[in-house]
Amino acid sequence: MTDLLELFVQAAAKFGLNYGFLLDAYQRGSLVNGAITTIALCAFTIVGSLLAGLALAAMLTSGRPWFARPARVFIEVTRNTPTLVQLYCAFLVLNMLLTQAVGAANPLTPFAWVVIVISLHKGAFHAEALRAGIEAVPRVTLEAASSLAFSRRQLLWNVQLPLAMRFALPSLINNLIDLVKMTAVASAIAVGDITYASIMIWTQSDNVLELMILLLAFFGLLSFVVNCVGRALEAKLRMPGYGH
Amino acid sequence: MPSPETRVGQPLISLRDVHLSFGSNRVLKGIDLDVQRGQAVSIIGPSGSGKSTILRCITGLLPTERGSIRVGDTDVHALKSEAQRIELRKRVGFVFQQYNLFPHLSVLENLVIAPRKVLGETATNAEKHARELLAKVRMEHKADAYPGQLSGGQQQRVAIARALAMRPELILFDEVTSALDPETVGEVLTVIRELTEEGMTCVLVTHEMRFAEDISDVVYFTENGLIVEHGSPEHIFQRPTNERTQTFLRHALGDAGRRPVASGDPFLLSNISRYSLSV
Ligand SMILES: Nc1ncnc2c1ncn2[C@@H]1O[C@H](COP(=O)(O)OP(=O)(O)O)[C@@H](O)[C@H]1O
Ligand SMILES: [Mg+2]
Repeated sequence: MTDLLELFVQAAAKFGLNYGFLLDAYQRGSLVNGAITTIALCAFTIVGSLLAGLALAAMLTSGRPWFARPARVFIEVTRNTPTLVQLYCAFLVLNMLLTQAVGAANPLTPFAWVVIVISLHKGAFHAEALRAGIEAVPRVTLEAASSLAFSRRQLLWNVQLPLAMRFALPSLINNLIDLVKMTAVASAIAVGDITYASIMIWTQSDNVLELMILLLAFFGLLSFVVNCVGRALEAKLRMPGYGH
Repeated sequence: MPSPETRVGQPLISLRDVHLSFGSNRVLKGIDLDVQRGQAVSIIGPSGSGKSTILRCITGLLPTERGSIRVGDTDVHALKSEAQRIELRKRVGFVFQQYNLFPHLSVLENLVIAPRKVLGETATNAEKHARELLAKVRMEHKADAYPGQLSGGQQQRVAIARALAMRPELILFDEVTSALDPETVGEVLTVIRELTEEGMTCVLVTHEMRFAEDISDVVYFTENGLIVEHGSPEHIFQRPTNERTQTFLRHALGDAGRRPVASGDPFLLSNISRYSLSV
């Protein structure tokens, strides 16, 4: 492993890139921790945003103004303001109020705030994608399910959601790829993600270009993985005879 | 389920003075209609006259405003809860003009899902029954295909098998051949004809006049939300008394009017010609 790293550092040096910091156990350790933190952030926010999106879409399409109206307001406010500003608002204002109220018992770490803010922000986009999917399910298909004596629940789980999911999937994957990149805002409130770790290193040792390349490659790889999983899902759920 | 003996003479379906509006659009203005167990009853009439609405009311998909609908022992107009409507729909099959198969499920899964989820049948039994039904509608070779891979006529035959999979007491057919190209109409009509011959109670909304004449016990002519005339097929098609019926049939059967019935067999399947009024 270390041999491989050394080979890489030597090779990169030929191109004038100084990756020497990778051989330093402390700096390497903080980068690896940062990478793990970013991956954890992605995993939590992917799940969180999908749950938030599902809940918001359910409210939007419930047909009850008491649910639909607040969901609509929330979505409009959320998707029309910058994530970074939302994160500052949540962390600097809400978190402070919470700490004032409960003191040291405040259970929400900066990491948790990033997960909450990005989940809600991307949840708003998921909700719109899911709503489009739900509304794209033909009424007559639902009527057919009703005529087969499906209950409202059975109809939802066996017909409406499976079809809505298929219609919404390309948009959802799109949102998730964006979400992966969005986790970089965590660095703004000093969550030790890979971006923050890189900033810490380059402020000390001036390897900006090398670290930028590393960062871009890392996020590119993560997005690519999400993309591949998404495409595999799409292929698996494809309805023969429809589309293309 | 009531035994047939106790119900002799009492119709399986009975509509009395059924009214229904969509907003200010009065669609049904007092429909009376009876279907005896084992009968095939056809409803004919111009587009927009409320034929589909009648069928939807019978299976509780639309609530009536006035009047009564009975299916067997069930007062459909008085059903309050979802559970009650589900009990009704277990007994009433519905086949739609646009097939409305579930596109994400294979043909076999389309047939199996409702018996499994709604009737609680075991996977083995439901699948065995489904394969029998597919054989009956001559679609057993397409059990693993998806609806999107089938022709219209094939999808419609699967839709009929899907309705049969629930072992309904009666089936409602809503213009099931109107979306089909002429070559495939026959294959669907053949399936329906076989069902009526087996004694399945069928209510058909159709524009296939010759077919309706051939298989029906009773024919109803609707216009503008009212039953204008009803009676035996001979009565409606050969000697309609109402002027509206006469005009409609003259157009439906071609402007030249109906040829006088020659002796011999006027009801050959090959004589079925297709006149569609729907758009
Ligand atoms: N869901 C609906 N909402 C509003 N109007 C409807 C609806 N369904 C049917 N109608 C109207 O009711 C009338 C009868 O429709 P329908 O029963 O489908 O006629 P038919 O099947 O005889 O062609 C038409 O004027 C149609 O526009
Ligand atoms: Mg109709």
